[in-house]
Amino acid sequence: MSETVMKTPGIDFDARAKQILSSAPILSATDVEVQFTLRGKKLNAIRRCSLDVYDGETLAIVGESGSGKSVFTKLFVGMLDKNGTITNGSIMYDGKDLAQIKDENEWRKIRGRKIAMVTQDPMTSLNPLKTIGRQIQEAIEVNQGLHGAEAKKETLRMLEAVGIPDPERRYKQYPHEFSGGMRQRVVIAIAVACKPQILICDEPTTALDVTIQAQILDLIRRLQKEQGMTIIYITHDLGVVANVADRVAVMYAGQIVEIGMINEIFFDARHPYAWALLSALPQLGVKGEKLPAIEGTPPNLFNVIHGDSFAPRNKRALNIDFLEEPPMFDVSPTHQAKTWMLDPRAPHVEQPDTIRRLGDAHRNTAGYKAQPLDYSGREPLVEVKNMEVTFGTGKKKFVAVNDVNFTIYRGETFSLVGESGSGKTTIGRAIVRINPITNGEVLYKGRRISGKISRELDNEVIRNMQMIFQDPMASLNERAKVDYIIAEGLINQHNKQGFKQDYKSKEELSDRIQNALEEVGLLPEFSSRFPHEFSGGQRQRIGIARSLIMQPEFIVADEPISALDVSIRAQVLNLLNDLKAKRGLTYLFIAHDLSVVRFISDRIAVIHKGVIVELAESEELFHHPLHPYTKALLSAVPNPNPYLERAKKLLVYDPSVHDYSVDKPVWSEIAPGHFVYGNERELDGYRKELNQ
Amino acid sequence: MSKKKQTKTIQELETPKVRMTPDSSAVETNPDKQYDEERVYVQARSRMPENQLFDFAVYEPQAAERTGYSEYSYWKSVWANFLKKKPAVIMSFVFVFLLLFTFVALAISKFDVYNLRIDNSLAFTAPNGTYWFGTDNLGRDYWCQVWYATRTSILLSVSVSLGEIILGVIIGLLWGYVRALDRFFTELYNFINNIPMIIYMTLIALMVGKSVFIIGVALILVSWLGTARNIRNLVFMYRDREYNLASRCLGTPLYRVLMKNIFPYLVSVIVLRLALAIPSIIAYETTLTYLGLMSIDLPSLGILLRNARSYFLDYPYLLVFPAAIVSIITITFYLVGNAFSDACDSRNHV
Repeated sequence: MSETVMKTPGIDFDARAKQILSSAPILSATDVEVQFTLRGKKLNAIRRCSLDVYDGETLAIVGESGSGKSVFTKLFVGMLDKNGTITNGSIMYDGKDLAQIKDENEWRKIRGRKIAMVTQDPMTSLNPLKTIGRQIQEAIEVNQGLHGAEAKKETLRMLEAVGIPDPERRYKQYPHEFSGGMRQRVVIAIAVACKPQILICDEPTTALDVTIQAQILDLIRRLQKEQGMTIIYITHDLGVVANVADRVAVMYAGQIVEIGMINEIFFDARHPYAWALLSALPQLGVKGEKLPAIEGTPPNLFNVIHGDSFAPRNKRALNIDFLEEPPMFDVSPTHQAKTWMLDPRAPHVEQPDTIRRLGDAHRNTAGYKAQPLDYSGREPLVEVKNMEVTFGTGKKKFVAVNDVNFTIYRGETFSLVGESGSGKTTIGRAIVRINPITNGEVLYKGRRISGKISRELDNEVIRNMQMIFQDPMASLNERAKVDYIIAEGLINQHNKQGFKQDYKSKEELSDRIQNALEEVGLLPEFSSRFPHEFSGGQRQRIGIARSLIMQPEFIVADEPISALDVSIRAQVLNLLNDLKAKRGLTYLFIAHDLSVVRFISDRIAVIHKGVIVELAESEELFHHPLHPYTKALLSAVPNPNPYLERAKKLLVYDPSVHDYSVDKPVWSEIAPGHFVYGNERELDGYRKELNQ
Repeated sequence: MSKKKQTKTIQELETPKVRMTPDSSAVETNPDKQYDEERVYVQARSRMPENQLFDFAVYEPQAAERTGYSEYSYWKSVWANFLKKKPAVIMSFVFVFLLLFTFVALAISKFDVYNLRIDNSLAFTAPNGTYWFGTDNLGRDYWCQVWYATRTSILLSVSVSLGEIILGVIIGLLWGYVRALDRFFTELYNFINNIPMIIYMTLIALMVGKSVFIIGVALILVSWLGTARNIRNLVFMYRDREYNLASRCLGTPLYRVLMKNIFPYLVSVIVLRLALAIPSIIAYETTLTYLGLMSIDLPSLGILLRNARSYFLDYPYLLVFPAAIVSIITITFYLVGNAFSDACDSRNHV
């Protein structure tokens, strides 16, 4: 273990380990294999996976999408999809082998009552036609045998227990009257209503904002303490793991490759994949340096995998990794890893530096002094002036963006951070003219590009301004081949006046496509395939190639990494940074996660409910946040260091602290380059705070 | 485990030590080529000296990027799925046979369909060796008429339904995708749709003419409504997907957005509507000729059925032959349409 860990005691993970492992496991899966039949082919989703779950622990299963983590845990509640079968192994629980249960009635005695599940999307797991109260009460009636008034009383108690205020009124409401976080609380209430022994949480906070996420995790932790449940988290977010887990299992390509106590995994991981996963965290990145990304893409489970499944992506793979599957080696009684690196014959490879950085992920902030930024000599590329975007009319009128002003200078990465519904995407889309703006204007190199513009200017803007989209699954046309998708912009501008990048012949076009593919690190042979052949990261890179082929100078990147796996995020961030350096691109980077933004951006604007509340140079914002909303957002940022993550104090933003009834708020530059939204009294306070 | 092992520098790591050859036997046992040949090292273990096992292998960025290529092709899967639906396959054979037979039947017939002799003394001759399907009320050979009518009806219904679908799809795509046109087409739809079709057809037949061409065009001009509305509702599902936004950012012209981004997703619905339109047009043609709103110089199935209505209680064969053919066509298109549209739906390509 590294020194930094020793310096931050606080929580005694070793004692916890002893406490957990003192009893026998309550659920024990051995050599489980699951196969899916898809288009006549066999997909090996789970490949001989073993796992013990102990009473009262919080186990986190971490892995990328497609690693089989969801499939594996669904086996515990008998919810395997119809085209899947358990072909080997056993899952012992309460004296029964869950792998052998075929009868749905028997499952009903276990599912929900003994082992319950909370799924990712609270939007889809509630019935929109039934009241919230009814749905919780149903679960109580079925599983606790209570009826009528008694059941209702218990329901109200549950609502209160999961932190829903005013339960009497909420009892009668429908799911659409609840916010995302509230809905997730209801789903948890339903799951917990049956007092299960094991609660499986499948990405419970992925669809939620950071501030809400922290609250939900707290809630689950509290309920666990009250009811003595065992909790299995399935997540790809290491911040969540750092916050909640006692033990961590890392899954890759249908196998658990490493398992251990949380401190063992975070500070003393042994599997190269676990290393790579941790070092790829943008939080640990150093500005201006490349993130240590995991190259390539997870293996295709249709193929027979020989040896170590991670070997092709592992830069320090051994010959034997390609030949023989490694066994589980014991690192400590609580820590096992499946890698040949632990074989006595293997050469010693040092843990990557970045993992050591984990210990001091809370960088020293005391001595930071902002350098006054000099933007006088820089050319404004895109200016947004008094932008207002409204949707709907009359009573349904909704102001998505309210009087927003900012300037993006050539060559910088300007980030826009806010929670869902804050209007950040709307601003991005308004700039590239997908959404019309209601008021104000957008200037590009000093020329107005919003509203009606001439055809020449329109073409010029198309050539120079492009967008990268959030969801790589939705942003590529499934029915077009990769070559068309990438070349779409070139084909559109073909033979148009003043288009410098135009191609002369079909051969040149296909050369350009190949080059574009290579530039984003994909193979030229991919051009004749359809998008569904590719993993999320590869698809996102196809999307990037598409927007870059016309060589634009300004890119709006709308949450380009939030839908990607951790290991892929670093790849895409590196690519964006490389392209910026190589081509002198300017980015508007839209994100909800401040930690990612810190690594990549020069300046950050924080947006709340359509209003930009604070704008400053990136480090300045992290060190001297002024607006209470910025502070709340910063306090909720997940920290990959378990000690720091657990010690962090959440600030909750309450908009009612602003009294704007008399003194109207203004957008004001409080220090050079540091803008805040507030009224005179608040600004005075901010100034004092800044000068301390 | 002792940590005092040899620690290698990066430079050393990058120099290849062993190059393993693919194992050909493993490839041969996998005729589907589920994985790349280069990656097959199955039995190479035996070929590798023990002391090199724990050396660093060559890192190939290309191999890391390579995914399994499933060789999925949309139309191949459509075809494979369609072939699984046996009744539909059989019925489409029957239909093709029927269509070809209309030519053969006329060729082998003892009479010339363009030159049928009216002879009242031969009226209502039951089917026999000379008159295979018997004769009608005027003593004309019924075999020739039935097969000729089949050909006419298929031709008419296929061309009208194609026209209807093409018009309906074009209007539906524009109606759904271009917001500015929504109001106009909705009102147009309401206007046309609120008046029964048969009134239109009567007015057109009385005011413009009753010829096959005019009635055919009139049918197309009225029946696109349903298709267009259906397509418009489906376009809504795809209109705001991110890939369409991307196309807008790239300045893709409207026609290409519609053809490349939207149309391919609607193929299964369009095929289904086309298949169901054909029997319904035959039914319309039958109704219209029955009502005397369409005049056809040469026999169509509708005309035969209209004629048969006066006599079929006494001479049922006059009704049975054309009715049987109408049924075969209807059932075929219903089955084939459903099967093909299911096969076109990529969600079923599992």
